[in-house]
Amino acid sequence: MTRVLQAEAHDTGTVDTAPNRADEGYDTIFSYRELARLDEALTMASRETGLRFTLWIGDLGPKTRIRAEELHARGGDPANSVLLAVSPGQRVIEVVTGPASARRLPDRACALAVLSMTNSFASGDLVGGIVNGLRQLSDQAGHPRSARTH
Amino acid sequence: MITPGGRFRVVTVVETLLVFLVAPLAVYLLLWALTYLPGGRKRQGVRYKPGQPWDHEPVWYEPQPANAPTHAAGHGDTQAVGSSLYGEPAAIGSGDGHGPGAGVATAHGATAAGSPDHGSTIGSHVIASDSSPAPAAVGPLGGARGTW
Repeated sequence: MTRVLQAEAHDTGTVDTAPNRADEGYDTIFSYRELARLDEALTMASRETGLRFTLWIGDLGPKTRIRAEELHARGGDPANSVLLAVSPGQRVIEVVTGPASARRLPDRACALAVLSMTNSFASGDLVGGIVNGLRQLSDQAGHPRSARTH
Repeated sequence: MITPGGRFRVVTVVETLLVFLVAPLAVYLLLWALTYLPGGRKRQGVRYKPGQPWDHEPVWYEPQPANAPTHAAGHGDTQAVGSSLYGEPAAIGSGDGHGPGAGVATAHGATAAGSPDHGSTIGSHVIASDSSPAPAAVGPLGGARGTW
């Protein structure tokens, strides 16, 4: 009679075959298509303007502005970066610009982009609002002189 | 209808009902079932409705680096492939949130998900834990705020 092999489960992964980050579960807030849209919007906005656009989606605590500015300062190259901090649970979006990026993106332009984003958010379209807001911000910031090739 | 003899045949009530009532209804029901019955295309991700609580891990997305390598992963990189095909420094996935660069681990790929506890996810980005050093002030900040 054949017996079923009583094999214990071992983690037999080596350095090369161990589970990597792509295998682990992650919080699927967005579908892959939405992630691709966000990816492209962030990357293209950053490349066109030379500024560094980052996007935070999560809770911002009771003092949303202070928390957003903390995050902005922590995100690497704060002077040239623009942080979009969206807290869907609190229904708040904060846009933080650094000293250098604020010269290209005045507060009035940010407020206009925020207005269009909140419009989309209120109708439940998080990704669409973010993508359009990023487009608006990058249009406003324009190309840096150093990156202008034509 | 025309019979083989060339004479019109009387159409019965049943046939009329079948053609004009049952057949359109069948088509209608088929389309309805295809549209509304569950088990069709499953939607990934969450459907956000304003006002509902948001109990997901915070995520920080950042743009792809401009001078990104075009190969999958270099020496010392993990082979993890997120949405991007860029290699990532192996220290980032180590889970303690202290990758290279003083608390703020910089990984590539805007398709990022991470948490302060374990910052190891696809394409990913570690959110610096609260114990990271206080950032230096860079000057006056601008921006805008909105609610909906």
